[in-house]
Formats: sequence, C-alpha cells, structure tokens
Amino acid sequence: MATQIVMDRTGDTRHTFDANNLAAVAKAERRFMELTGAGFTAATRTGPGEQRVIRSFDPTAEETLFYPRLVGG
Amino acid sequence: MTAQAALAVCSFILALIAAVTLSTLSVALARYASAADPIFLARDRRALKLLKDWLSPEQLACYERYSFFDVIGSDTGTRFRIHHGTQTNIEELGSNGRLVCKWCFGPDGNLAAGDVMLTQKIALETNERAALAVANRSYARPDRGAFHR
Repeated sequence: MATQIVMDRTGDTRHTFDANNLAAVAKAERRFMELTGAGFTAATRTGPGEQRVIRSFDPTAEETLFYPRLVGG
Repeated sequence: MTAQAALAVCSFILALIAAVTLSTLSVALARYASAADPIFLARDRRALKLLKDWLSPEQLACYERYSFFDVIGSDTGTRFRIHHGTQTNIEELGSNGRLVCKWCFGPDGNLAAGDVMLTQKIALETNERAALAVANRSYARPDRGAFHR
C-alpha cells in the first residue's frame, strides 16, 4: 500500500491506496494535483534521511509527503 | 481633598495591579490548558514520529541527544543547525562551526514543531535558495551576543 501524508493542524492526515488499483491510483493522482495546485510541496524518501521533491505524481512512491507553502517567520 | 485624591490614586493602582494579575493568570492558564490538551499532545507526538522517520540515523541520534540536528544546504553546501522549535530555530554555521546568523521560515499554518522542523529540513536539503528567499534573517551581534533583524 502506498501512502500520501498531508501535514495539517492535526499533525498529519494519511491516505493509503493500492498502487495496483487503477481507480485508487487515479484518486491519489487527483489528490496530488489538488494539493500541489494549492501550494503544497510533495516529497518522497529516496533513502535514510534523503528525499527528493517531486513535481508530478509518482504512483510507485511508497510514501509521499505534502507540506504547505513556505513562509518567512 | 488631598486625602480623597490619594485614595483615588491608590484605588486606581490597586485596580491596575488586579487587572494585570488576572490577565497574566488567564494567559498562563490558557497556555497550560492547550499544552495539556490531549489533541495537542497527540498532534505533537504524531509530528515528532514523522520527523524521526525522515531523519538520517546521524540526524536522529543528534536530535535525540541535543534537540537539534544539522542539514547541508542543497545549493551552497552550507551547514544549518535546526533546533527543536517553530520560530527562528535555524542557525547558519560557518566553516569554523561558528554561528553566522539565524533564519526563520516554515510551512504556512499553525503546525506542530515536528512538522515545522521536517519541512525546514526538506526545504534546505532540496531547494536551499528558494527556502532562504522567503526566510527572515537575524544577524549576530558579537558585542552583545544577541540578535537583531
């Protein structure tokens, strides 16, 4: 199962989907587009402590993290 | 007349002290209530678990021991030290390991410290320039050891 983790005021909200289920993948891709369109950044882990930012939906990613747009503090 | 004036002044001062005390108490109570709120505690725990899952073994060991961890900027190779916290918690370190300045940026919204620190780590390690472009910087003042914007 793949997981999309969205940071929010509750800590995070997790959406899991079966990467072999076409309908579930389509739904996950829509979520990806909505979140990145709203200013979230998507990142996947590539190794221990390593990550990369992705600009397009990756259905093979086991875990995709979304964080809100950056602002100065 | 003088006694009445003195009484009025004393009454005013007492009322002022009472108002300040009540205000301070209510703020402290609100802070205590939110800190002890099970929803906030669960949120903080979840965010810290997520952060720890994404840290490297070295970063995790450092964070658990010192409550900070270091990251290397993706564009300049600069070392940054991210302290536990949500505001002005990033130190830029020079090649000698000394503090150069402090940076403040994070994700929009009222997120838990774990989420804020994880966002700062990913942003600095993947797109340092973009992260610092939105950040506020504070400079060290060697004469006072303090910071100012």
